[in-house]
Amino acid sequence: MILLCGIPSEPPLAMVRAELERLEAPYVVLSQRRAAEARMSFEVRAGRVTGVLELDGSTWPLEFFDGVYTRLMDDRLLPELKGLPDGSAAATHSRQLHETLTRWCEISPARVVNRAEPMGSNMSKPFQAQLIARHGLIVPETIVTSDPEAVRSFAAQHGDLVYKSISGVRSIVRQLEAADLARLEDVRWCPVQFQELVRGQDVRVHTIGAEVFATAIVSDAVDYRYAHREGGDAKLEETDLDPALSQRCVDLAASLGLAFAGIDLRVTPDGRVYCFEVNPSPAFSYYESHTGQPIANAVARHLCGMAASGSL
Amino acid sequence: MLLVLCESDDQAALWAGEGLLDRGLPVELVTADDLAQAVRWKHRLGSAGTASEVVLGDGRVLDSTGVTGTLNRLVTTPPWQLAAASEVDREYAAQEVFSLWLSWLWSLPGPMLNRPTPQGLSGCWRHDSEWAVLAAQAGLRTPTYQMTSSEPNGRQLVPDGELDEERVATSFVVGRRVVAGPQQAGIAEGCRRLATASRTALLGVDLIEHQLGGWTFLQASPTPELRLGGDAILDALAAELRAP
Repeated sequence: MILLCGIPSEPPLAMVRAELERLEAPYVVLSQRRAAEARMSFEVRAGRVTGVLELDGSTWPLEFFDGVYTRLMDDRLLPELKGLPDGSAAATHSRQLHETLTRWCEISPARVVNRAEPMGSNMSKPFQAQLIARHGLIVPETIVTSDPEAVRSFAAQHGDLVYKSISGVRSIVRQLEAADLARLEDVRWCPVQFQELVRGQDVRVHTIGAEVFATAIVSDAVDYRYAHREGGDAKLEETDLDPALSQRCVDLAASLGLAFAGIDLRVTPDGRVYCFEVNPSPAFSYYESHTGQPIANAVARHLCGMAASGSL
Repeated sequence: MLLVLCESDDQAALWAGEGLLDRGLPVELVTADDLAQAVRWKHRLGSAGTASEVVLGDGRVLDSTGVTGTLNRLVTTPPWQLAAASEVDREYAAQEVFSLWLSWLWSLPGPMLNRPTPQGLSGCWRHDSEWAVLAAQAGLRTPTYQMTSSEPNGRQLVPDGELDEERVATSFVVGRRVVAGPQQAGIAEGCRRLATASRTALLGVDLIEHQLGGWTFLQASPTPELRLGGDAILDALAAELRAP
């Protein structure tokens, strides 16, 4: 039995659900929009985890769930809770349900895609970059600083720069332009992350266990995800990775404890492979809808224990 | 330079810093407030590895190349630091500062008790339910833990009814050493296994004694009350932080 958690209409969750149906795998959907109707409890006794999920008039023993796919949004932002005061019965129940679910996911023996703890590495990009570098992937030259002069010196050394958030919040990449240099003194208020601008071909690699799906992106935008917003375009197509690079991506995701990961690479014209970050909750639907790569199918098979992969 | 990083009011860390100084270690005490008032951060990473320089408000310079080890008890970034930020930016700025401190701490060379994680600057803060599973897997007797969406907090079913502080003892794991705590067979090894499983090099493990004998795991912390360990834990910390 598979448990799907999130907003049922959200594309990644909907696509995995469709694949589970195609595989004729039994599943249950815990919709955040219907949190008020759900109840959950668990117990840890001598290290063994048991419990129940009450949903739609049915009671499901938690031990029945072999796989869990979570695409949870911040429950405080659910439309059902809009306008309700903090501490209202509905908001309190929703918070407690989500807390119980999250805690159970961390200790459940089920295949959870992905647990909260390993997803944490993405909350600090330079921290994650240090983990990435251990796997032989090149990370861009980076400085995080509150010193405007250090930025100028770094730019003199590395040429064109980009800047982006240090954390996973407001994570949009922008090129450092003349207008930005004019307000460089502002970094004294809060350190900012600057990186060398690496030119080359973007490749998004999705790993699910040992399976790898690589997508090449052709775009003239600094951050192709926002190409349309900047008046540009992005074309996506399936590509093949060198087997050694493919294995390196699988190893990287596994070392981070991620059963499913979206790894952002850029391949320079002279063949060097840079890794920018590992996304622990990839919105793969964007890539699958452009390329037809069967990523949702791989996630569904992994949840069912049918994948050719390891056992994260 | 041996960094001792802590909150300004962390008496256990201040005590440990004094003890390490007495044992000849070159202690440099830096508080979270000191870091929040730093006048310059430079944290670099790339093909040459990592290098950092933090200039504190009092003029001290924390050059990563001069760091030989760290006793890290930082819990969080001080909220006062962002008081001037607009409400819409405050949470973002807090995340940015936390992320920088996490990366900086991770990059420091030498032994560190404890290394930072995204779940806590001085080690992973785990939920009671996780500790209950890990402690049982480590071979310690554990109380039953219950959690439900109908109540705000989980519940630990303490043996023999009410929690009696008189019956609680703390074992400290420092690297491979186990200091203080109950002398019952298997407890030290269980605590050592728990520290390994939780990837926490410095771990305080609280255990409660049954009225009929024997000890049960109660809770664990990456920032334990070190003073309970006396000279023995200072010796263990010094040995661990001197290690190459």
